[in-house]
Amino acid sequence: MHEEKCSHIWEMVDVIPCFIITEKCYHCGKIATYFSTEHTPPIEEYREGVHLWNFMGSAQSIKFNLKCTKCDKLEKFDELLGVMMCTGCDEKCEVNVLLKKLEPKRTWIYVAFGYLPIDEKKQLSPKQISILEDYFNQRRKSSKSTIKIVSHKLVNNIANCYAEIIKDVDMLCLTLPEK
Amino acid sequence: MAEEFRLNLNIKKIKEVLKADVVQGKKLLSTKINGVYASDLVSDVLAYSKSGSVLLTGLCTKQVVISAYLSLFKAIIFIRGKKPNKEILEFAEEKNMIILLTENDMFEACVKIANADSNSISNFVKLIESVEKKNTIIRKFHIDGQDFSNSGLLSTQIKSILQNIGYDPYLIKRVSISAYEGEMNVVMHAKEANLILNANEKEIQIIIDDRGKGISDIELAMQKGYSTATEDQRVLGFGSGMGLPNIKKNSDELKISSEVGAGTKVEMKFYVIQE
Amino acid sequence: MQLIEIIEKLNLKTLTNVEERNVEGVFISDMLSDVMTNAKSGNLWLTIQTHKNTVSAANLVNLAAIVITHEKEVPQETIDLANRFYVIILGSDLSTYELVSKLVGIGLTP
Repeated sequence: MHEEKCSHIWEMVDVIPCFIITEKCYHCGKIATYFSTEHTPPIEEYREGVHLWNFMGSAQSIKFNLKCTKCDKLEKFDELLGVMMCTGCDEKCEVNVLLKKLEPKRTWIYVAFGYLPIDEKKQLSPKQISILEDYFNQRRKSSKSTIKIVSHKLVNNIANCYAEIIKDVDMLCLTLPEK
Repeated sequence: MAEEFRLNLNIKKIKEVLKADVVQGKKLLSTKINGVYASDLVSDVLAYSKSGSVLLTGLCTKQVVISAYLSLFKAIIFIRGKKPNKEILEFAEEKNMIILLTENDMFEACVKIANADSNSISNFVKLIESVEKKNTIIRKFHIDGQDFSNSGLLSTQIKSILQNIGYDPYLIKRVSISAYEGEMNVVMHAKEANLILNANEKEIQIIIDDRGKGISDIELAMQKGYSTATEDQRVLGFGSGMGLPNIKKNSDELKISSEVGAGTKVEMKFYVIQE
Repeated sequence: MQLIEIIEKLNLKTLTNVEERNVEGVFISDMLSDVMTNAKSGNLWLTIQTHKNTVSAANLVNLAAIVITHEKEVPQETIDLANRFYVIILGSDLSTYELVSKLVGIGLTP
């Protein structure tokens, strides 16, 4: 239990560019998300167990891990697809309730979103989410405001969530010209 | 309105200031550049219309190269160590485009390119003469008075020239502070001026020769806090009256001569201490 | 350097509410993933991205302000979101590269 004595200062490492892919199953209506490092997303529908996945969209983003600059401890974030800022779109959503409570203190809520469907894929642990929160607050260097990071499990309806995802938009809007 | 930038740059110069690798188009280094554009958006690159420019981007995909080609860019610089794949390089080769790679981030890269070209920063500062002999560099600039939004540009450029030569950082700091104060005096009090920088291995000399109202009592102007700056100028944070005393403090030699109604000549010298 | 001073000297348009902040360094990118990876707290962020999620990225890493270059029009929904989250958005009619020269001129260097 030696390492727990370190008050970690985190830095971002192993940054790789990739695409967040969103798919929908036309049998059960579930949505799936995952990371892909391929340049072209799977446009063709495909079967996986009971699901028939259909490509819905993709967004360019990055994947990363965190490493402590003091003790070299590496915390992997394989289950993290990205973070999105809660804008309070759903009155019934627990994340919104939290935002309303913390907004006067200038504490902003970000949702760490991972692989979907939640009940079928491995999820980020509370400890990982807390490390992620520490990392960004350390980097923010602000005494006036903080951020709080919560799991996407808390979101009332992820398919209708209007949180602002940090991803690259309009990067690849050009279709390759045919020769 | 955006200013027209009259660039006087070629790829070789850009390669030098960015310490960039030319991975495509090594034979095209002398190519002149018409403009510089910084963007990561394909749609934006496509909308750009000045042919023969260089694109700075952090987006390393084939789409960017294709849109840069369609917008008649001559060269692409990938920043922050981004490496293009074979497909991108082949496309660039086929289209006679130049590809450079640099470790700089976008801000550093823009600043270095802007500094490398004395005409690029603005019309406020013009390089009118440039001499480079063995161990000696002479640059003559022209400054317009009363242009507060651009003030400080020339001293920043002088700093960058001296850094490129490799002088001691503390010496460079003293020279740039003095040059800044001199430049500010021109902006505040004169119509226009010429600034000559003469740098060699023994000393750095700066001469600022302005056409303006002149100083009637030089001794009084040398006193801390003395200023004839108007209220307008004080609002901008300038005109604290520290100009000439500050130059005296930072230089090794200072000579001021002035004729009321004609102008002022400030000559300063900084000794280079050999180790 | 103080934000208000920069706004005045570079003649930037204020598209949101403004408060005094300390600016430390400049960051240029049109990729939000880049901001999440490389931007530093207190940076002035130059971009042509005007989408709402720029607010999300700027807030996450506590940037001093966003400067939208190139006279790009910023949608009202982006401005509304920025005001709620105290993210400052400014506008310039210069291109990113041209604005850099001006920033250097007032002493904001790498």
